Amino acid sequence: MRPETLKGHLDGILLAVLDPGPCHGYAIMEALRVRSGGQVDLPTGTVYPALHRLERAGLVKGSWSAAGGRRRRVYQLTPAGRHALDAERSTWRDFSAAVTALLQPAPAALSSP
Amino acid sequence: MSRHGPPEPAGGPAVERYLAEVTARLAGPGRARAGIVAELRSGLLDAADAHRSAGLPPAQAALAAIREFGEPARVADGFRAEIAASQARRVAVALLVTGPLVGLLWIAAASASHLALRLGLPWQWAGSPAGLHLGIHLVAVAVGVTAWAGLLGIAASGRLTRWLPDRPRRAPTAAAVAGFGAMGADGLGLALLAAQLATAPGRLSPALAAAAAVASAARLLLAGRAARRCLALRATLA
Repeated sequence: MRPETLKGHLDGILLAVLDPGPCHGYAIMEALRVRSGGQVDLPTGTVYPALHRLERAGLVKGSWSAAGGRRRRVYQLTPAGRHALDAERSTWRDFSAAVTALLQPAPAALSSP
Repeated sequence: MSRHGPPEPAGGPAVERYLAEVTARLAGPGRARAGIVAELRSGLLDAADAHRSAGLPPAQAALAAIREFGEPARVADGFRAEIAASQARRVAVALLVTGPLVGLLWIAAASASHLALRLGLPWQWAGSPAGLHLGIHLVAVAVGVTAWAGLLGIAASGRLTRWLPDRPRRAPTAAAVAGFGAMGADGLGLALLAAQLATAPGRLSPALAAAAAVASAARLLLAGRAARRCLALRATLA
């Protein structure tokens, strides 16, 4: 999937990946790949600025942790991030239902004069 | 730099070269860049580990990790807006905090001096020369511009960005305007003081006037530098 296709949804996707629990940058990338069945394969370096933007907006909180011998910046959802994720989910459900309905081939009965 | 802990063990020359290329494309405060580089390095080492456990030899695992991260220019592009926003926020906060302090010094200096018939605060005095009266109003305008632009700069670089359309230039622009507003306010204060020194220096309270002048001159210089820096960061954003 091209990064352009994801534009506008990356924030919601990142929040969803963090929903189960705190994660560091590379693990977030791995989760994106695995959970999308390999469809989402962004340049890893572009995920970090997006995480910083979410942190600035108060939707995630980052902190340095030294678990496993390597210092990593670990991100977790804030209460506001959880709200934003809920909103994103319901917006997406409505949007995708509408687009699915619209993109479906029209029933033959309606298309004939 | 203790916030970012001790330096990570190097992930080989290729990883360090890649990080240097990203760093070279980032403007802004060294501390912000150091944090970004430390985070990218740990991510690259994680990626290299993953490729190594998949069977690649260390040097090739590092190269695969670098390929996976993408062009240094693209990674740096993504971070530039973040750096500009955090710098803009710092400038806006500094201006909003120092403004009232310098303002209080000027009010104290004016109150301790004998400039006009006092009916309250300096802008309510009667019988002050017309120039002083106009000057004080211009200072009020400059202070208003600084305050509003500073607040906008803080809003556009923090949590309110959740509800604002994503415009990376907004925060550095607002912070630069706040910086120019502060320069205006401080410059006018100094000009009014100079006019008073030229006409009736005996009416001034020397110690407080000197303190206010020094504070305003320092703020004028720092605000000018900060505003130029914000404009430079703004120019790096698309």
